[in-house]
Amino acid sequence: MRAHELAEPFPVVHLDDDAMAATRMLADEGLPGLVVVDDDGGPLVVLPGSQVLRFALPEYIEEDPRLAHLYAEDEADAFCKALAGKAVRELMPSKQYLPQRARDRPVVQADDTLVEVASVMSRQHSPVVAVVDPDDPNHVIGVVTLHRLLGAALQRS
Amino acid sequence: MTADTWQVVAAVAVFAGAYVAIATEWVPRVQAALVGAGLMLVIGASNGEAAFFSEDSGIDWNVIFLLLGMMIVVSVIKQTGLFEYLAVWAAKRARGRPYRVLVLLCVITAVASAALDNVTTVLLVAPVTLLVCDRIGVRPEAFLVAEALASNIGGTATLIGDPPNIIIASRGDLSFNDFLVNLAPVVVVLIGVFVLMSRWLFRASFTYDAQRAAAVMALDERRAITDPRLLTRSMVVLALILVFFSLHTALHVDPSVVALLGAGVLVLVSGLSSQEFLEDVEWETLVFFAGLFIMVGALVNIGVIEYLGEQAVDAVGGRYLLAGTGLLFGSAVVSGVVDNIPYVATMSPLVDDLVSSGDGSTQASSLWWALALGADLGGNATAIGASANVVVTGIAARNGYPISFWQFTRYGLIVTAVTVSLCWPYLWLRYFVLA
Repeated sequence: MRAHELAEPFPVVHLDDDAMAATRMLADEGLPGLVVVDDDGGPLVVLPGSQVLRFALPEYIEEDPRLAHLYAEDEADAFCKALAGKAVRELMPSKQYLPQRARDRPVVQADDTLVEVASVMSRQHSPVVAVVDPDDPNHVIGVVTLHRLLGAALQRS
Repeated sequence: MTADTWQVVAAVAVFAGAYVAIATEWVPRVQAALVGAGLMLVIGASNGEAAFFSEDSGIDWNVIFLLLGMMIVVSVIKQTGLFEYLAVWAAKRARGRPYRVLVLLCVITAVASAALDNVTTVLLVAPVTLLVCDRIGVRPEAFLVAEALASNIGGTATLIGDPPNIIIASRGDLSFNDFLVNLAPVVVVLIGVFVLMSRWLFRASFTYDAQRAAAVMALDERRAITDPRLLTRSMVVLALILVFFSLHTALHVDPSVVALLGAGVLVLVSGLSSQEFLEDVEWETLVFFAGLFIMVGALVNIGVIEYLGEQAVDAVGGRYLLAGTGLLFGSAVVSGVVDNIPYVATMSPLVDDLVSSGDGSTQASSLWWALALGADLGGNATAIGASANVVVTGIAARNGYPISFWQFTRYGLIVTAVTVSLCWPYLWLRYFVLA
């Protein structure tokens, strides 16, 4: 089985899209993460849901998780308001952590095998990888999710 | 140990090279210290026995294990949520008024720095400060800078408050009470002066918004304490450690032994995993100290320190006020530019010679306090002068509030100039006029 056979349609977001809208899409459509594309339309990085969550929380709660206990219930419920007015670009890992080489991006070719897809997913710690046309790396055919990959692999095992 | 001339030259060159590498941060300080220590062994300026077993020219295990013990104690106390509780309690007591919040946070930081150590204290206080500032609608930079400055001032008061004090205590055979009696009084005055200065220094950051201030009152500080039993046990053990530190003269138990026993008891009663109670042990710092001690010990071994000590004794010639003045201001200047730990490690054997030459007189002993005050308070001068400053600017940057070197330094220089200057009349009056 090849990657394009597992690929399913998946929305992509651009760097300048509204972060709140992108997060809402993540929640409404039950997506495991966001595929962020660069200005040329090529997949740049996959932000897993947990990463998006990280950006909704203030950094100081990352520094000291005990501070999360201090919030009253109504304020705790509204923690996503920190995303208001921010672009997806602002949720991105800082430049030094962005993939510098093509092989570090969560991308597979349409004709890659399941092991190749699993290898990229595992190496990138990403629950989603983008599947691109081998002749046009900026054309995203779809994505392979961890759920779909494991389902296919277990069926053959 | 008798040394050949080439060994002396080589040892001094290795020491100077390592010192420059540490000061300029060309390489991580732990690497510089370890390479320097290794080279000292290679050239024969030190050997295995001297480096690992000699009290005078080897690793000072009292310092290493005192630091290790206190780091474990702090790791456990950190789990209790005490600092989060205190900071939010302070912000609520201040009714969200920015200056009052800053004063209370600085006082808490200073006291905690004296009882634990200043680096850990700012690590614990800074995140909750960001939360409080977020609530009261003020930018946090001034609050974080003020806390770093307060932690360095507060840490000066005790033997365990600042790493240079631990080195001075070990080398000068000074007790916990010696530090309390000689340094705490002036530190209390300095903290008072500092919080008054802060009203002017950070005045641009005190914009009061009644509506935002009300938001801080919605925080529930009691929820920070997730394990009251652990808090109670930790406070009892910390109190016992401090009591045993202060009973050193009567019980003759070294502070390192007290800290290790206290850490052991706390580990037993806390029920925490080794990963949790070792979380805040800064292994790099401990290895850095070990390398540093071997390097300085090598200079002792080959007679360089003895030679410099004789020169210093001749130059001072009983003029201890002049020597103290030079030590106080000179240490402040040097510590503002380079890490105060290697500076104090190097200066301590020299000061020891000077104090010994005064036959234990009060005037001669005052040189220890001049060194401690100058080195500890001098660390406030620049953003890289003390570890607490580096920690705070790092946390600020990660949270989107970068504090530039000069932004920190323009406050630090003023505070250092005022606090160090105030120490001089204290030393003069206490050890020369009223002694």
